[in-house]
Amino acid sequence: MTTTQRNQTTRSTQSLARRLSALAWFAVLFALSPGAVLAQDFQKVEGPLRPELPSVPFVAAAYGFIWIAILVYVLAVARGLSKVRKDLAELRKKIDGAGPRP
Amino acid sequence: MRSVGTGFLVAATVAAAGFLLVPRLILGAPVEPVMGFVQKIFYFHVPCATMLFLSTFTCAGGSIAYLFKGSEAGDRVAVSAGELSVLFGICTLVTGPLWGRKAWGVWWQWDARLTSSLLLELMMIAYLLARRYAGPAGRKLAAALALFAAIDVPLVYKSVDIWRTVHPQTTVVPTLDPRMRPAFWSAFALITVVWSLLLGLRVRLERARAEVEALRLDADEILEARP
Repeated sequence: MTTTQRNQTTRSTQSLARRLSALAWFAVLFALSPGAVLAQDFQKVEGPLRPELPSVPFVAAAYGFIWIAILVYVLAVARGLSKVRKDLAELRKKIDGAGPRP
Repeated sequence: MRSVGTGFLVAATVAAAGFLLVPRLILGAPVEPVMGFVQKIFYFHVPCATMLFLSTFTCAGGSIAYLFKGSEAGDRVAVSAGELSVLFGICTLVTGPLWGRKAWGVWWQWDARLTSSLLLELMMIAYLLARRYAGPAGRKLAAALALFAAIDVPLVYKSVDIWRTVHPQTTVVPTLDPRMRPAFWSAFALITVVWSLLLGLRVRLERARAEVEALRLDADEILEARP
C-alpha cells in the first residue's frame, strides 16, 4: 500500500469516526432533551373500547418468527461452511495438479 | 477443517430434547390473569433479549482482546457474537411489538426501554457494516463500536427502573408466579443452548475461512516455487 493510499484510508476512517461520534452525541442530546421527557406522559384514552384481539395469532407469529430467523441463520452458516469446503478442495486440486515438488 | 466435537453433539441433543419439552411446559403453565394467553410470548421474548445482551458483551470481550492484544481468535469470536447480537436483537424487537399490540393496544412506544433497545440493535448493525465496508481499518473501528454497544447494555436493562415506561420492570422475573418458573427457566435454558451452538458453529466457520485464506497464500508460494 502506498503512502497516498494509506493517507486516504486514514482520512476516510477519521471521517467515519467523526460522523459516528456526531451521531452518538446527537442521540445523547435527544435522549436528554425536554421533548423526550414530555413524551413519557400518557394521555387518557377516551371513547368506546376496541374489540378484543385474539391472542393466538400474536403468540404463533412470535414463536414462528424466532424459529424461522434461527433456521435461516443456521442455513446461512451451513452454506458458508460448504463454500469453505469447496474452496479447500479446489486449492488441493490446484496444488496436486501443479506436479511434484522440486 | 476440524470434525464436530462431543460438546457440540451433546448441546445439539439437549436442544432437540428442549424443542419437544419446552412447548409442553409453556402450554401447561397458567394463563396470566391480566394479559391472558398473549403473555406466553414472555417465555421466549425475555431469553432472546438476554441473549442480545450476552452476545453484545461477548462481542465486546472479543473486541478488547483484538484491540489491545491483537488476538485474531478474539476477533473471530467478536464477529460471530456480533451477528448473534443482531439476530437475537431482531427476535426481541419483533416479539416485543407483537406482545405490545395485544397488551398495550399499540405496536410501538418511543419509551426508554424500547428506544434504547433499538439503539443497541442499530449499534450492532453498524458494527457489522463497519467490518464489511469501512476498508482496512474497519475491524478496529468496529471493535471500538462494540465497546460503545456494551456500555449501552446496562442502560437498556435499567431503563425501565430509571424512567417512566410502559414496559414491565426488572422485577418481573424474580417475582414470577412459581407455577410459571419451570416453563420460563426451561425456555431460557433452551435459548442459551441454541445460542451456544450458533456461536460455536459461527466461530468454526470463521476459523475455517482463516485457515483457507492462509492455505491459499501457502499454495501461491508453493506453485511459484514449482517449475
